Amino acid sequence: MASTLRLYLTCIRNTLEAALCLQNFPCQEVERHNKPEVELKTSPELLLNPILICRNESEKCLIETSINSLRISLKVKQADELENILTKKFLRFLSMRAEAFQVLRRKPIQGYDISFLITNYHCEEMQKQKLIDFIVQFMEDIDKEISELKMSVNTRGRLVATEFLKQFI
Amino acid sequence: MAAVAVHQFAPCITCHAWSPDHSMIALCPNNNEVHIYRSSQDKWERVHVLQKHDQIVSGIDWSPRSNRIVTASHDRNSYVWNREGPEWVPTLVILRLNRAALCVQWSPRENKFAVGSGAKTVCICYYEQDNNWWVSKLIRKRHDSSVTSVAWHPNNILLATTSTDGKCRVFSTFIKGVDTRDSKAGSSSDSKFGEQIIQLDLSFSWAFGVKWSPSGNTLAYVGHNSMIYFVDDVGPSPLAQNVAFRDLPLRDVLFVSEKMVIGVGFDCNPMVFGADERGIWSFVRFLGERKSSFSGSKYGSQFSEAFGKFYGQSKTGVSNDGIDPSRSRGGIHENCINYSCIVSLGEEGSSRTLRFSTSGLDGRVVIWALENQEDLSEYL
Repeated sequence: MASTLRLYLTCIRNTLEAALCLQNFPCQEVERHNKPEVELKTSPELLLNPILICRNESEKCLIETSINSLRISLKVKQADELENILTKKFLRFLSMRAEAFQVLRRKPIQGYDISFLITNYHCEEMQKQKLIDFIVQFMEDIDKEISELKMSVNTRGRLVATEFLKQFI
Repeated sequence: MAAVAVHQFAPCITCHAWSPDHSMIALCPNNNEVHIYRSSQDKWERVHVLQKHDQIVSGIDWSPRSNRIVTASHDRNSYVWNREGPEWVPTLVILRLNRAALCVQWSPRENKFAVGSGAKTVCICYYEQDNNWWVSKLIRKRHDSSVTSVAWHPNNILLATTSTDGKCRVFSTFIKGVDTRDSKAGSSSDSKFGEQIIQLDLSFSWAFGVKWSPSGNTLAYVGHNSMIYFVDDVGPSPLAQNVAFRDLPLRDVLFVSEKMVIGVGFDCNPMVFGADERGIWSFVRFLGERKSSFSGSKYGSQFSEAFGKFYGQSKTGVSNDGIDPSRSRGGIHENCINYSCIVSLGEEGSSRTLRFSTSGLDGRVVIWALENQEDLSEYL
């Protein structure tokens, strides 16, 4: 792991540790409702200041916190067009299966590639530390996964091209 | 060791309360029921299940003298439970709320109780003999956000509230026919019901967990910005002190004596705050810390894990981070200590508390003792 990536992930881990102080909190505006405030944004006093952690222009992480929920959105590094397509397809594949991940949001928020929504119910069921580990591990793996995909696409492209060009010899 | 007993009751506990003789405990296992357990020969046996609410129960209080339980729930209702023979019989409370009830507490004389709500109001409830129900008077239009915690002054009149708008307020709750004039403190004797005595605007973030000291001279509450606030001489010219600490925010506080406060919250480990002879408050230490220094093996494994991380084993380094920080600190609780989950187990009539209990989202109720903590005895 590159040292800058480690710093970036450590920063995110520490921020999440401080931000994941969630509690059960019923809606103030709608009767008998209990919804993540970070999504509804009905009462401004229940939201905290959002935190943006950037590694560089193409890699950043936005953490928005409210009294009963936290939303973390990631932008993954995309160096060229191929990486762009691969990231889009891969993250779409994951988002379609969001129930399996529990904390994954079905749709990323605008300007980001993938979003997670953690509510107080997740914190009750799961250990906070494991949740943070999952997010950080995910960020670590996603870069690896994309570059592996890119590699296999390139290898396959080379193979196909060789096979195709063989007929002209 | 500070923690003398650990009991696992449910996967998750939102609030708990003890019976007057501490032989029974009422707790909410994070659903719409209240379970009452009784201890019999080192074992806890479930004796009652109170089912009346249809959403999560947010507050329980058990009155020490009249032996009544009051519960508040997110379904906007509250019930007072009376023991009649083997059964607990609920009495309706007309709260007139249109949002969730968040917290509840009996007044010291047990003729009133206060309910804080998400409707930005506080209900002061009292019993009406003619109709056999509890009616409420509302303090409206004073709070700008949900009321997270309420605390009664020992004089049975003053009520302190904290709210998610970051303010702490003190109200007079004098109700004609329920309170008598002579029971009041001299300075606040002219105030009417719902009159705001003071508004404290110390916190920049949400405020939680307000409590009065046993004598009623000091008020303590916490902010979500990892601060705890102490206010002396509540009245026209209050004296406020802010204490910041480096750990995660607190959720509730408890005065164990005039000079010592226990704070619990997201750090899973009770924090001790003490006042010196000049009345300056400061953070003393974690209460659960001492336990970890006894268990050498835990430390050893932690060191080796730290070494492993140093030697660049990035794969295992990740799993090393997976150890629970509360456990590595020797904490008893594995998840945060939730709202209103620190309850005094003090003897009736005594001004100090030597034992208290905490419950958390990990479903444990832990009883802590302060008797054999030598370094803390000067504060008691």
